[in-house]
Amino acid sequence: MSNPPLLELEGINLSFKGVKAISDIGFRVAEGEICALIGPNGAGKSSLLNIINGVYQAQQGRIRFAGQERRAMQPHAAALGGIARTFQNIALFKGMSVLDNVLTGRNLKRRSSWLEQALRIGRAPAEDDRQRAAAERVIEFLRIQPWRDEIVGTLPYGLQKRVELARALAAEPRLLLLDEPMAGMNAQEKREMSRFIVEINREFGTTVVLIEHDIGVVMGISHHVVVLDYGRKIGDGTPEQVRHDPEVIAAYLGTRPAAA
Amino acid sequence: MHEDLADNLPASLLARARQRGGDVALRHKHLGLWQQRSWKQLLAEVQGLATSLRAAGFALGDSLVILSRPRPEALLVSLAAQWLGGVAALLDPLAASDEQVALLRELASDFVFAEGQEEVERVRQAGLSPRLLFYADARGLSASGVQSYASLAATPAQDDLPIQARGELTAFSFHRLEAGQAQQHWLSHAQLLGEGRRLIEQERLSANEEALAARTFAASGQARYLLAPWLLAGFRLNFPESLATRDNDRRELGPTLVLGTHDSYGRLYALAQQRLPLPGSLLRRWLDWALDSRGGVLRNSLGHWLLRRPLRDVLGLSRTRVPLLVGEALPVESQTFFAALGVAPRAWPEAAQWQAAQRLRPSTAWPQGQVQPA
Repeated sequence: MSNPPLLELEGINLSFKGVKAISDIGFRVAEGEICALIGPNGAGKSSLLNIINGVYQAQQGRIRFAGQERRAMQPHAAALGGIARTFQNIALFKGMSVLDNVLTGRNLKRRSSWLEQALRIGRAPAEDDRQRAAAERVIEFLRIQPWRDEIVGTLPYGLQKRVELARALAAEPRLLLLDEPMAGMNAQEKREMSRFIVEINREFGTTVVLIEHDIGVVMGISHHVVVLDYGRKIGDGTPEQVRHDPEVIAAYLGTRPAAA
Repeated sequence: MHEDLADNLPASLLARARQRGGDVALRHKHLGLWQQRSWKQLLAEVQGLATSLRAAGFALGDSLVILSRPRPEALLVSLAAQWLGGVAALLDPLAASDEQVALLRELASDFVFAEGQEEVERVRQAGLSPRLLFYADARGLSASGVQSYASLAATPAQDDLPIQARGELTAFSFHRLEAGQAQQHWLSHAQLLGEGRRLIEQERLSANEEALAARTFAASGQARYLLAPWLLAGFRLNFPESLATRDNDRRELGPTLVLGTHDSYGRLYALAQQRLPLPGSLLRRWLDWALDSRGGVLRNSLGHWLLRRPLRDVLGLSRTRVPLLVGEALPVESQTFFAALGVAPRAWPEAAQWQAAQRLRPSTAWPQGQVQPA
C-alpha cells in the first residue's frame, strides 16, 4: 500500500520484571491496510497490541499515530483518538444484550451530560436515537440482527466474537486492533469472519492490525505481514515477500530452505 | 378507478393510492425499526422507478430479471417493470449459485435487479453485461460503477407516464433449473387479480389485515395469494428485516394474514416442539390433554390461557385470522397441532405449470400462454 502511515512504531522495548518480551521492534502500518502480526506463541504479538492501545507502556521507543508522536499511549486517549480493539479472550458484558453491548462502543461519542442522560432531558433523547441508529447500522453490517435482543452469554462462541467486533466497530475507529479474531472458530466461521474484516476495511476504510495463527487466512486477507519471534521482528513485507523469507521459514518450520 | 375495474397490478396500485393515499401500504423492518410507506409514497416510488427504467430503454414486453430475497425494493421494481408493460422475471434467491448463474445466462436479460454484491457477482459470472444492472444493498458495491436502487428511485416521476400493462400480459415469470433443464412458468395480470379477488372473497380479507411477506419472493404463491390481494384489498404488507429474523419479526408484528408452505409451517411446528416438554413426560401428557379442544369448558379455558395463547404468542400467530398454506399438504401431526392452536392452515393450490424454457428470450412481449422462441 502506498498510503501514508497511520501508525508507526520505532524501537519499542518491553520487559516484564527483567524478562524481555519485545526487543527493538519497529514497523509502519499504512492508512487503509490490513496488517497481520504473526509468530509463534510467546512471540510478543499481544503485548505489541497492548502497547499500541496503551494497556502496556513500552520502556523504550516511540509511537506515532495519525501524525501525533507519543512516548506512550494511554488507553483512554487511544480510544478517543480512534483506536478500538477486540480481545483474545472475549471481553463482553455477558449479562447484557447484543444491542446493549454494541451501544457501549458508542459511549465516547456521547456529548450529553450525565444529568441530561439520567433525566432524559436536553440533548439526551436525540442523542439516544442517534447512538441507537449507529449501533443498528453496525448490527446490520455484521449480520447479527437475529440475536439483537439475546443475552450475549447465551450465544455460541463464534457469534460472541462477532458481537465483540461489532462493539469495536461501533466506535468508528480509524485503527482496529483484532487479537486472534478467529481463535476457536470452525472453517465456516473463519470464512465469515475473514469476509467481515475485509468488508470493514473496504467499506469504511478502517485500518486493521490483526493477530492470527491461521496462516492461510492471514495470507488471504492481509496487505502487509509483520513476523515476530521471541520478541523480535524477523519479517516485514507483503504476504508474498514474507512467504519466501528464509528467516520466517526457519522460524516456522525450524529449517532453512535449500540454497538455490 | 374502482378496484374491481383494474385489470392489471399497476392500475390496482394507482386505484389504492387514489382511494387511500395516506394509509400505510407497506412496512419494512430496517435498522431495528419498522419503516413505513403510504400508498401515495409507494406510487411515487414505483413511478420514479418506471421513469428510470424507461430512460434506460425498458419497454413493453421487456423482462426485468430479479434476483433478491424478499424486500420492498424487489416488489417495487416488479411493479415498475409491469407499469411499462414488462415482466418481472423471478429467480429463486436461495437456489444454488451455479443454478442462478445458468438461469441468468439462459435469460440473458438487458435489465437485472440484483440484491447485493453476491448477486451482482453472479450476473458477472454469467458473462452478462446488461444495459441496466442495479442493486439494493450497497455493501461492497458503492465504488463498483453499478447503479443503486436508491439512485433510480430518486428520479422524479414523470406525471404522464402511462400504464402499459394489460390484463392478458404476463406480470411475473418464474424460472428454475430442473435436472439441468431450464424451466419457467408465467402468471398474467388477469390471472393474479382473478385469484386475488377469489381469495379476498373466500377469506373475507379487508383493508385492516396485516400480512407478512416472509417467503422467498420468487415463489408464485406469494404473487397470487399475497401481492394481488394486497393491491386489491389495500391492507398492509410487511417485510421482515431478513429471512433470518422473520420469526422474531412475526412475533413483534402479530400478522392477521400468514402465507406459508409445508416447510415454513414445519419450521414453526419444530419451534413449538422445542418449547414443549418431551413427549411422554407427565407434563407433556397434561399439556396434550389441555390442548385437546374436544373437552369441556374447564379444559378449553385451561388450554387457552396456559397453552394456546402463550404458544401462539411465541410463534407470532397471536392475531392470525387467515393462515394460508400453499402447495404440499402438512403432515397430520402438525395439521392437528395448528388446528388445536386455533390456526389451522387453509390450503390453496400452488398449481405452477412449469414448462421447458426452449431458450426463451425474455425481451419479447408474451401475452399469457404464448411462447416466443428466441
